[in-house]
Amino acid sequence: MPMSKTVQELNRELADKLAEDGRNNPHHVYAGKFVGIANGQVVVVADNLNEMVSRLRQVEPNPTRTFGVEVGRDYSVVEEIWKVS
Amino acid sequence: MPRAVWPVSRGRPIIEVVLSVAPGGRPVPRQLIADTGAGTLPSGIELLLDEQDCLTCGGTPMQPIVLGGAYVGSYPTYAIQVGIPALAFNQPVIVVGLPTPPTGFDGIACFRFLNRFIYGNFGKSTEFGLEL
Repeated sequence: MPMSKTVQELNRELADKLAEDGRNNPHHVYAGKFVGIANGQVVVVADNLNEMVSRLRQVEPNPTRTFGVEVGRDYSVVEEIWKVS
Repeated sequence: MPRAVWPVSRGRPIIEVVLSVAPGGRPVPRQLIADTGAGTLPSGIELLLDEQDCLTCGGTPMQPIVLGGAYVGSYPTYAIQVGIPALAFNQPVIVVGLPTPPTGFDGIACFRFLNRFIYGNFGKSTEFGLEL
């Protein structure tokens, strides 16, 4: 019998799906938006990070039960950080 | 225009940001290497910090990101409230959570973050600063 998923897993799965859908469809309804997820559901759609964080915190004060994604951003792009010796 | 300057540390330009530790909001200063070569302007990331700082500050988890170079692989990111009091700057930014920050520093300020401001030594070779 499969174990039930945690809130973090549900949030992450939904964020992955939104990110993938946004990558494949530039006209996605959330394209270019910051989407806030809480307890496995989309609860905030914002134009910028500041607005998303603020409204998400009002809906769910516990950050471990939340997740955010910028729909349309390609998260597979490698960001280079030079070595600090 | 307001300006914040810091002395070069270990031969490197640095900036100092203030994090708010949840839930009381106690300010915690962090010294970051100012690295215009870290990340790009279109990249979503602005700072790299110890992941423990990200968690202690009650950061909102965001999609993980892939790094190359000094740090290789997938790393978690968080939206964290970051302040620079001298500039009256206080906003959430996207921060990469590192298992180990660079030796001697608390993290790295990437090009995208530095480029929010006018940055440079403002004519003093032993300082680095930001100006709004």
